[in-house]
Amino acid sequence: MNIKIKSLNETSEKTKSYSRNKKQWLKKPDLPDTHIINTDIYTNPAIFDEEVSNIWHKVWLPICHESELPEILDYRTSSIAGNVPIVMVRGNDNKIRTFLNLCSHRNNIVVRSPAGSLKNAEPSGNSNYMTCMYHGWQFDAYGSCVEISREKAGYQDRLCKDKLGLREIKTEVGFGGMIWINMDDECGPLSEFVGNSLDLMKEQLDTEPLEIFLFQKSRVKCNYKLFFDTSREFYHDYLHFHNRQTSMVKPGYFDQEYSQFPNGHSVSGFTTVDYSSHQGSALRTLTFPGLPPNGWRHTTIFPAGAYNIRTSSLRVNVIMPISDRETLIEIRGFGLKRDTPEERALRIKDYVSVWGPFGWNLHEDLLCAQVQTQGIQKGSGAIWNIAAREEGNKVHDEVGVRAYYAEWSRLMRRSHSTENNI
Amino acid sequence: MDQTSSQFIWPIQVFIHKGATTLNDEKWFEFLGLCDEEKFRYQVLNFSPEIRREQCWADRNYAEMKKSFELLPRHNSDHSRLTRQLNVKSIEHLDSEQQATVVSSLVIYKTHLDGVNSHIDSGSTSLYVVGEYRDQIQLDNEKIKLISRIVYLDTRQLDIGSHKIF
Repeated sequence: MNIKIKSLNETSEKTKSYSRNKKQWLKKPDLPDTHIINTDIYTNPAIFDEEVSNIWHKVWLPICHESELPEILDYRTSSIAGNVPIVMVRGNDNKIRTFLNLCSHRNNIVVRSPAGSLKNAEPSGNSNYMTCMYHGWQFDAYGSCVEISREKAGYQDRLCKDKLGLREIKTEVGFGGMIWINMDDECGPLSEFVGNSLDLMKEQLDTEPLEIFLFQKSRVKCNYKLFFDTSREFYHDYLHFHNRQTSMVKPGYFDQEYSQFPNGHSVSGFTTVDYSSHQGSALRTLTFPGLPPNGWRHTTIFPAGAYNIRTSSLRVNVIMPISDRETLIEIRGFGLKRDTPEERALRIKDYVSVWGPFGWNLHEDLLCAQVQTQGIQKGSGAIWNIAAREEGNKVHDEVGVRAYYAEWSRLMRRSHSTENNI
Repeated sequence: MDQTSSQFIWPIQVFIHKGATTLNDEKWFEFLGLCDEEKFRYQVLNFSPEIRREQCWADRNYAEMKKSFELLPRHNSDHSRLTRQLNVKSIEHLDSEQQATVVSSLVIYKTHLDGVNSHIDSGSTSLYVVGEYRDQIQLDNEKIKLISRIVYLDTRQLDIGSHKIF
């Protein structure tokens, strides 16, 4: 008898369930539009096409580092969202220029290797030039067309080299020697776009030259914004055992300011991280100029760049969407150019313990973005993402996510929280 | 095989394959038992044509390796199974008796579990990594110990990376 009564009580408890039916699930959360995101913006190919035009081809993007093309006539190839192939070349005047990597003749890709030197001759062309292997047209490091095979015989005076140069793309080098490009010929200067968002790292980035020591790329099945969200909020410290042990245990961690800057950039990292509390981490002694031992600085650059200095190494993320559901994430590790071999080895050892392909944190961020993508794919039932934590602009406040989508909406001229597609 | 006393060839091959089996079975501490506690160093290296230099993606000594194994259950990970297939390519003595360099070709397959959509993808297998083991081993009449292992990768895209060593 007693057992039966207990069973009835349990049933009674279950009637108090707060699970939701379909209508309740679909209902827009009772939050300001600034605090919610319709998941359609992660899955709609038409919106992705708009993003390419309104964002990716309008703002400054970090692409690679000057130390990747250190010598005159060194080159580096890459691509921009929307299938835009580019090539960066260091000219004889030591200036780095970027060009659309398409031959003026038939749009063949001109430079195919990821990196190299134009001093090495190609099978179908002279050294010192970019040679299109298809018909042997050649371009110099200034983008000028310098050779058209049998030009006069075929084109007489109807076409001439002077008007068949490569399409040049706005390029600047700055903020730690990163090479930035902007597809918009009418854009303002890079300094105007970045503003003061990297001031906190200025001493670390620009006191002396940096040098790349690690390059990693991951082609991940996720929308670029989902991975970038892992850089825009720190509430997901709970994902990372490493962060819980090295950061959240630190007195004052939750009082850390999280600041937003014009053009969608954000800054955190005014405190230090305690690596000694993570069992697998060694005590850090080597740092960057002006950075205290175990220091941490973190800046994200809209729409998808991130600078992150932890103790002895700098990580810069370059995120490039391939489509609405696939993203190329390029991650670089940096030390100081003047490092001794011993210092460099220590920086690398520190770096890879947290961030490399085998590091604790990066795998978890990538895993989460990939799994979250499964959750919000079209038809899954996902409608709303919530970014509503308000903690006075401190580190676990989701203000960084809100600021990101505010800038996204401004450039896209559309809301990120409409119900249109439900 | 070259320059190796024939008496060592078979034990060395058994030893190298045993290491792969313990890793495949995720018997991490059993693998550690094959490594020299004082000298062991584990590295993952590759040459990047993008930055035109050799780079290091992991660098751990015995103690750090042990800690990483202990911490594995405390981290969120892709739990897909990794299956290492080896072929010992060369065994070479460094000096008279005590050490040998062993190079093995390495292929790793990933059998998916929960890294993506477990309902749809779990159980499927894909080629994950191609590379080499470059091992330094200590030869002793009693035991063979792994002094160092360089996992030299041809594959440079490891999708979301791995908490598990190769």
